[in-house]
Amino acid sequence: MPFSNLFAASRISGSGMSAERLRMEVIANNIANANSTKSANGGPYRRQDVVFAEVLAEQAAGAKGGVQSLGGVKAVELVEDQSQLPRVFMPAHPDADAQGYVSMPNVHLPIEMVNLITATRAYEANLKAAQAFRQMNEQALTLLRG
Amino acid sequence: MKNDMDTNAFGLGTLTHVMTTAGLRHRVIAQNIANVNTPHYKRLEVSFGAELTRALRSEGGSATPFPAPQVVEVPGPERVDGNTVDIDREMSEVTKNALLYQAAVQIMASRISTLRSAITGR
Repeated sequence: MPFSNLFAASRISGSGMSAERLRMEVIANNIANANSTKSANGGPYRRQDVVFAEVLAEQAAGAKGGVQSLGGVKAVELVEDQSQLPRVFMPAHPDADAQGYVSMPNVHLPIEMVNLITATRAYEANLKAAQAFRQMNEQALTLLRG
Repeated sequence: MKNDMDTNAFGLGTLTHVMTTAGLRHRVIAQNIANVNTPHYKRLEVSFGAELTRALRSEGGSATPFPAPQVVEVPGPERVDGNTVDIDREMSEVTKNALLYQAAVQIMASRISTLRSAITGR
């Protein structure tokens, strides 16, 4: 068994946890910017989404399904939600257009909350897998005791 | 048993194989859990149980080399995003697999302690 495989399971669970954490950060950023009418790109803030992709570690044979090819998950990109921005009538607002309407960010709190729950649960699942791995290794180490 | 000191003496070879495979299965389940939110991810599984049973039942029993476990994609019901991971199932698989590993470790520990008392004669 190659030595690098020894802690592959914790690496995989760790990648899952950091990916879910990133998703939580993005959700928190969306909620924090729920009322930002100015963003780096000019217009109002648009809600962001993380795109996840499976990681298959480099393998000499190049064949998928091999033992070493499991590498967990990673966040590949951050995409902006291009759905329509709600318009609110606020003539006194500095970003109001000629008709007095302001384009608000397309952040919807219920959607963000549901995504946050999913991310939290997925994080816990990864944590549980990491704990099981630790427990298994501790048991194997008891074999060394005389 | 034909020759007592073959590689599978006292069933240690079988137990080692069970532990190695449980370790691999844990990696595969961890991969499934890590990818629970990856679109179009198909869940992986270790196919091993059937092969081991066949190897153990075959003529010569322990002398037969154990088959290498295979990691395979299994078809299953897809979610809207094309992902086939069922998180509840994976969580119960983690527990089941850890218990299997624990069982193998404990049997091995008791075999080793038997061996040790035979060697020391106490």
